[in-house]
Amino acid sequence: MKLLKKKIELAFDNVRVDVPESNRMVINAGKDTVLSILDLLKSEGYAHLALISCVDWQKDKEFELVYILSAYMQDNNIYDDKQKENIILRTRISRGNPEFITVISIFENAEPYEREIHEFFGIDFKGHPRLTPLFLEREYKIPPFRKDFDTRKYVKEVFDEIPFVENEDGKK
Amino acid sequence: MDRNQLIKWIKAPGKMGQKYSLHVVYFCTGCGIIEIPPSITARWDAERFGVMPVATPRQANLFLITGYVSVKTLKSIIRTYEQMPEPKFTVGFGSCPINGGMYWDSYNTIKHLDKYIPVDGWIAGCMPRPEAVFVAVTHLWTLIDKDMADGYKKYRKNYKYYRANQEKLYGKMEWPPLFPIEDKKGSSP
Repeated sequence: MKLLKKKIELAFDNVRVDVPESNRMVINAGKDTVLSILDLLKSEGYAHLALISCVDWQKDKEFELVYILSAYMQDNNIYDDKQKENIILRTRISRGNPEFITVISIFENAEPYEREIHEFFGIDFKGHPRLTPLFLEREYKIPPFRKDFDTRKYVKEVFDEIPFVENEDGKK
Repeated sequence: MDRNQLIKWIKAPGKMGQKYSLHVVYFCTGCGIIEIPPSITARWDAERFGVMPVATPRQANLFLITGYVSVKTLKSIIRTYEQMPEPKFTVGFGSCPINGGMYWDSYNTIKHLDKYIPVDGWIAGCMPRPEAVFVAVTHLWTLIDKDMADGYKKYRKNYKYYRANQEKLYGKMEWPPLFPIEDKKGSSP
């Protein structure tokens, strides 16, 4: 872990690496270096992209993309410390112009995660082959996981407006 | 056979047949389906009450809505309900289909199920125990006896309004109406 930390700090500028716990590394990187850091981590053996997640920092007017990586078991049924390690790569992109590059070229399983983030946060991943709806059935003016999406107002406008069905004698 | 019910059997054999052969369609929505495997297997044997799960909606006449209903699930619920042969009964299971439950201000969960399809009975609770399913089933027997479990008749009668509610949520629906909808100037359906 320490070796990897030095390697990353030497190779890239504008990168802050923390090791809060012995098996966890947090890398805060600028958005230009994300692809090359992911490429380096994959060649170091952290070849499993566990999750891509997104955080909406409304006051900073930024979205934070979080990539969580871990390693596969190398030899059969032999654990070493590397399998217990998690690497968290964070980067921030602007909220006004939510665009980023897809990482499918490095991790193929990023495809559904990026579709989900596109659907719930409205981030446009350039180079993604199909950014079609994944979970949601309706169309939303503001993507529903953004902080400025008012769920209560939305529910009042949509679900509460639909009337109960009543019989002709007025009973429900 | 219970001798006290002999008169009922002679008077309305069809109704008694419906009562004791409730076939539940295997349709899982939300978390409540976790209560169904124990209630149909050896621990709480549902077949004592004549309740049996079946594979397809074409063979079923009881529909348990188990848990919260998201907008996407509601579409398949409507399709499943319309495929079931009459007479058919619906029971909402858990507090979420009743009024939204903990999802009452969720962006993608519908709040009142009975705006979209008719519901004959509700089981409150989060989660209801398997015993509550059998309380609901025995209660449904009473309703069938008294001709009060008439959700499917209501659906046929007020289909125009149900369909309008469904279209309010989805825009244009992908399948044609189940029953003919008359024009606005015509008489009520």
